[in-house]
Formats: sequence, structure tokens, C-alpha cells
Amino acid sequence: MAKTVAGGKARAVQAKGKNRGEGSGTVKGEAGKENLPDFDAIEASAGFRDLMKKKKAFLIPVIALFLGLYLLFNFVISYTDWLDQAFVGDITWVWVFAFGLFAMTWILVTVYMKRAEKFDDMATKTLKEFNYDKEENR
Amino acid sequence: MNATVIIIFLIIVAMTLVITYFAAKRTNTTSDFYTAGGGLTGWQNGMAIAGDYLSAASFLGIAGSIALFGFDGFLFSIGYLVAYLVVLFVVAEPLRNLGKFTLADMINARFNAKKVRGAAALSSITIVIFYMIAQLVGAGALIQLLFGIEYLWAVLLVGIMMTIYVLFGGMTATSWVQIIKAVLLMVGTVILSFLVLQRFDFSILEMFAQVKTATPHGEAFLNPGVRYKIPLDTISLMLALVLGTAGLPHILMRFFTVRDAKTARSSVMWATWIVGIFYVMTIFLGFGAAAFVGSETIISTNAAGNMAAPLLAQALGGDILMSFISAVAFATILAVVAGLVLSGASAFAHDIYGQIIKKGKATERQQMLAARYASVGVAALSILLAVFAQSLNVAFLVSLAFCIAASANLPVIVYTIFWKKFNTTGAMAAIFTGLISALVLVSISPSVMNPEAGAAIITGTPIFPLTNPAIVSIPLGFIGGVVGTLLSKESDVRKYSEVKVRANTGGFRQL
Repeated sequence: MAKTVAGGKARAVQAKGKNRGEGSGTVKGEAGKENLPDFDAIEASAGFRDLMKKKKAFLIPVIALFLGLYLLFNFVISYTDWLDQAFVGDITWVWVFAFGLFAMTWILVTVYMKRAEKFDDMATKTLKEFNYDKEENR
Repeated sequence: MNATVIIIFLIIVAMTLVITYFAAKRTNTTSDFYTAGGGLTGWQNGMAIAGDYLSAASFLGIAGSIALFGFDGFLFSIGYLVAYLVVLFVVAEPLRNLGKFTLADMINARFNAKKVRGAAALSSITIVIFYMIAQLVGAGALIQLLFGIEYLWAVLLVGIMMTIYVLFGGMTATSWVQIIKAVLLMVGTVILSFLVLQRFDFSILEMFAQVKTATPHGEAFLNPGVRYKIPLDTISLMLALVLGTAGLPHILMRFFTVRDAKTARSSVMWATWIVGIFYVMTIFLGFGAAAFVGSETIISTNAAGNMAAPLLAQALGGDILMSFISAVAFATILAVVAGLVLSGASAFAHDIYGQIIKKGKATERQQMLAARYASVGVAALSILLAVFAQSLNVAFLVSLAFCIAASANLPVIVYTIFWKKFNTTGAMAAIFTGLISALVLVSISPSVMNPEAGAAIITGTPIFPLTNPAIVSIPLGFIGGVVGTLLSKESDVRKYSEVKVRANTGGFRQL
């Protein structure tokens, strides 16, 4: 696998598929037929590997957290009456936990929106290294 | 049916027809038809997702369940909302980056195999048909109740409206019907919530204190266990809800209506706020109905509690508010079924006709015709099935649709994006084990078999104990994918680097 192409030109390896992005920065074959770049090279580039590493470092713990809390909630309410005790007045803990899951959803979405902007920048940078401009190729 | 109802009702019908008229002028290509040209903004698509997702079952059904069963009536809402995190973190962006019109497009970005496309289309169609039957049967019964129209006419009315939107206005009309419905639904629930909270002096504590003594359940009303008493059954259902949303074809399809992954993401953000706030307000509606209408009146009007919200509107705001809430429920039904018709049509016309039969070589004109024929076909089939299913207990079909989506669609989506070794055989195995196990298990479950005659479709002792098979069929779908992959010698590792790069960067879109 070529690992030395970061910053280099995307090489046309596979000639397939039609891309709407005419007039783009990607390498084009003859007669306007567009060729796809060397995806192995992009995958192996430092920028892309860094993006995947950062994405995983964010997504895996977050997915484990929300699915874990959600399952915990369902097990606890189904098998125990731990949450049936009063929290304030007649509001029991089960409502607090349930609302907590709502709040968790909104918080995680908000946090991810911020974080994803960084991922977008990293992706755009990597694509630029391979002479691909997302804006032009829409 | 009084004059106010008829007027509000006609205003909504007229408004949606005007939208369809303008949308029809802009619907010239298949891309316009299936994705509104991909030009929706984040908030527009977010509201449309909410409009697509919040069915009459969510609005009238959950409000009623909370009024009758307290916390247990609210329980599903948690699953319906948290599910959007799966959509956001796992599905939305890769789907936008890899797909064109359908889920099968996305899977085929990796496997250029007709059989995989066919399998994905089949599971999508199955989900859409089940979901649709449940919606139309529910709609028929509800409209009968709300407006006093006979079941058959009610189903035909909804069926004809949804066909008109989709046939002429495609995704543009469908999206705007969904957006308007989301606005109406939020306005209606905010007004009702405000009136309820006013009665409790805007004190949540006071509200809890009053409902504690207002229902026959007493204190138990505020805790789990009033309605769902079999722990494993509850967990199975909740699993289907949280994982199923990310595999529902009509929800997935909405992500093709935006230009890029960033907009897809912001549409999920809008949707989670709208859907979440809506579900919080259903608590006020349910508690309000329990306190100010009373469970006796609610049950005597409709045993399932579906009339709780309209009755509450009657009690707090008189005829006008009740008419408005009934009209909102009608708009809600229309928006959901229109989205379903469109996603069913895309699987038939784009996947099966365009890509499999015509091998992707159909002309634009042929594709448009196919899309329109398929829309009418899906609509007609659903109407027919709904008419025959009138007397059957089909409410479980909604949770079954979520279960199939989680068992047959989610595993193949996850593996396509994240698993390098995944191959064609694995994809086929994942889809079919998920789909078949869900269908077989549910057909021998208490949802379909009940010893009491008339309580379910078949009279007999259920063989499988759980009403929703998700806890078994979802793992089977995932295991099926692994076993299929390992048993086969094929390898699509090379194509994986392309999928990985495209899914994660949004570059090199194939359109």
C-alpha cells in the first residue's frame, strides 16, 4: 500500500462510475470521463488516519455511554423498584432518570455538532491534499 | 361534526393541495421526485423528520396511554427519542455521503450486487407495508371517531390525499406537508400544555400531587409497572425502538433531501429538539386528561385512550380547541402516510425497476413514470390491505416495523460502513436472518396468537413468549452478517477503502 503520497496528486487507478463534479480538481481521464482517485492512498494518508482516530476516540465512548445508560434504565425499571422512591414531592426518581435520558440526548447532539465541525475541517484538508474540493464537486 | 371542524379541516386540505400544486411545478426529475432536489436546509429537514416520525399514534396514542397508565404510557417516548443518537452517530452522515435515493443505494456503494440491492429493497418494502397498514387502520378508526366519517371512507380519504401529494408533488410536497404538520402539532400541544399547566398553577409538583389521587391506580400511576409487567418483553420492545429508527426507510430517505453530511447532522439536531420537546409535552397532555377528563370518560369514548387529547381540548378550550386538535391529528396522519408511500415507491421504482430490471439504464422519463406508477401502486395496495385489516388488531405492526428495521437493516448498515471484511454473502445473510427471524418469531408470538378468540389474528397458544422479538432477532441479524461473511471466500476489502473515505469525508460523491 502506497503510504508516501500525502500531498501528492490523486492517481487515477480505477476508471469507473460517473461523477457529477465536472470541472473539478480531481484527476480526469480523456474525453471528460472522470476517474476515481486512489482511495487506498487517501485511506493510508496521515490526515485521514488522524481523522478516523479522532472520530473513533469520540464516537465509541459516547455510543457506549448512551446505549449503556439507556439499557441500564430499562433493566432497572423492569426488574427493580429502586427508582420508585420519591425525589421531590410526588415526583419519583424514575421521572428524573427519564428526563436525564432526554437531557443526555440533547447534550450529546449539541456536543457532537461542535465536535463534528472539527471532523469536517480535517476531512476537507485531507481531500484538498488530494486535489479534491468538496464545494466545487457538489 | 360541527361547522368549526369542517372549516379547519377544509383549510388544512386546501393548504396541502396548494403546496402540492406549487411542488408539482418543481418536480421534473427523479431527483426532485425522491429528494426534493436535495435542497432542503437543516431546519426544514429537521422539522420534516419530526413530521414524518410523530404519527397520530404518538400524538393521540401516547397522550392517551399516559392518561390511562401514567409512567408506562410515557415509556416508549424515551426509546423514540434516544434512537436519534443512533441515527446521528451511526447512520445519517455515511448515508448522505454514500447514497442517492434509497438505503439500497448506500449498501450498493460497497457491493455492486443486484441481489444485495434486491434484499435491501425487500426489507424496506416489508417495513413500509407493515407500518403503513398500522397507520391507515389507525387513521381510519381515528377519523371515524373524530369526524364521524365511516371507516371505509376515512381510509379512502387519507389514501387519496396521500396519493395526490406524492404523485404530483413528490418529495417537495411531502416535505412541506410534514413541515406544516410539525408546526401545527407543536402549536396544538403547546396550547394544550399551557392550559393544563395553568390549571396546576404552573407547578409541576402540584401536577404530580393531583394526578396521584386522580386515577384508579393511585400512587402506582407515577411509577413503572402499571401496564408493562413482563420485564423481558419491555426490554425487547425498548431495544427495537432505540435501534429501529436508524433503519426505518421513510426516516432514512429524509437524509437524501439535504445537500451534505453537515446539513444531515443539523437536521437531526432540529429533529431531536422538536421530537423531545413534543414528548415532554405529552406528559402534560396525559396528566391533564387524567385529572380534568378522568379515565372513565376517556375509556368510555375509546378503550385505547386515543380520545384523551381531543377530550382534554374540549374540557379546557371548548369546541373550537377540540376541532383544532382533531384537525391537527388529521394533518399528522397525512404527513406520515405520504412519507411512507414515497419510500415504498423508491424501493420499487428506483431499486427494483431502475437498478435491477433496467440495470440503471432506464431513461429519466421511464424512471419518472416508474416512480409515479409505483407510488400509486404502493398507495392502492396499502388502502386495500387497510380495508381488509379493519377488524384485526394491528397496532403491534408499528413495533414490528421498528423490530425489522433494527434486525434486517441496521446490521447491514453498520457492517457496510465499519467492517472491512464484510462481503456480499454477509450482507445477504444479515438482511435475511434479521428479516426472517423477526417475521417468524412475531407470527408465533402473543401479538399474533392469543388463546382468546378475536384478541389477535390467530386463536391459539403463542409459541414464542414475547410480543416483540427484537431481543432475539436483532442479535440474529448481526450474527447472520458475521457468519455469512466468514463462510464466504469473497472479499471486498479493496472497495472498502473507497467506502470508508467517501463515508467519512463526504468527497467523491457518485451521483
